[in-house]
Amino acid sequence: MLNELLLTFAQWLDTHQWSTGIHESIYVYSWIEATHVLTLMVFLGMLCVIDLRMLGVIFPNVPASKIAQRLDKPMMIGFVVMLITGFLLFYAIPVRSTQSIWFRIKVVLLILAGINAFMFRAKMQASSGTWDLDPVPPKRIRMGAAASLVLWSGVVITGRTIAYDWFDCHKQLPEFMYWAAGCVNELAALKQ
Amino acid sequence: MDLYPFFDWLDTSLLADISKAYGGVFAVVQMFHLLGMSMLGGMVLVGDLRLLNILLKDIPSQVVIENTQKWFNVALVIVMTSGIFMSSAVAMKLYYNQMFWAKMTSLGLGIAFVYVIRRPLLKFPHDTINPWTLKLIAVTSISIWFTVAASGRWIGFS
Repeated sequence: MLNELLLTFAQWLDTHQWSTGIHESIYVYSWIEATHVLTLMVFLGMLCVIDLRMLGVIFPNVPASKIAQRLDKPMMIGFVVMLITGFLLFYAIPVRSTQSIWFRIKVVLLILAGINAFMFRAKMQASSGTWDLDPVPPKRIRMGAAASLVLWSGVVITGRTIAYDWFDCHKQLPEFMYWAAGCVNELAALKQ
Repeated sequence: MDLYPFFDWLDTSLLADISKAYGGVFAVVQMFHLLGMSMLGGMVLVGDLRLLNILLKDIPSQVVIENTQKWFNVALVIVMTSGIFMSSAVAMKLYYNQMFWAKMTSLGLGIAFVYVIRRPLLKFPHDTINPWTLKLIAVTSISIWFTVAASGRWIGFS
């Protein structure tokens, strides 16, 4: 049911003139994609510095909360640019993206990374007074930082693998993969 | 100096056999390349934006530079080793690609700039260095590394 809804939505987006326009324009698509990838350095670069501080391996003599607060704004600017360019990339190729197993895993990882960031921030704000000046923060904070780095690495690798057609719907795949990738027509053909 | 023999060798090396045969391995190495690039970019931006007095203004610039330089080195090693592996998959194609050479030139410039100019100069107490020199170092550094990343991405489009 959800797969059918998502596909219908993607097919509706695909009928938009702007979607086709971005997809078929070599330069517009390339510029959007290049901006998306290069903004990684701003967003993930800042996140990396914050997480490494929470792991206790960088800026050991600077309060952790200070690093997190000062780098939060540029990190969020990078995130917003990535979000906008990411949506435009999806909008340019909506059907294939919706039926990409990698894109789906990426969205799940993004949600998990968001939840982790929310919990991490709450934990940090509640307890930073007790360990803020410690060169190595407590284990729970280090675990949160490690989870953040692992989840965002997952987002990067799944984002990159969207380009590969290993599990595209036109390939011969197991039924589970058709379902997981949302290959509605192929699943229907299997059941006939 | 013509590097054709090196690229010819790389194209038929064990690295090339692995990178061409195993798409999954290539994708994982590419992930490390992107993560290394993000880390490198982050360290460059945090250090240079501090020199420009835009970021982390209440932390001494010397502290920021010392801390980011260590992780810049780590990121550079990740980017270069993963980059050599990725290059082996399309070595001959890259040899004839102008954008690849633009990237290699800017990468060489970037490495020389960091280890010959930026790092030795910033070892002196920053309050003894002309503020405009610090700003010039920061702007040059950001420009070079942006060119490295942008030309690297453009290899895929050219």
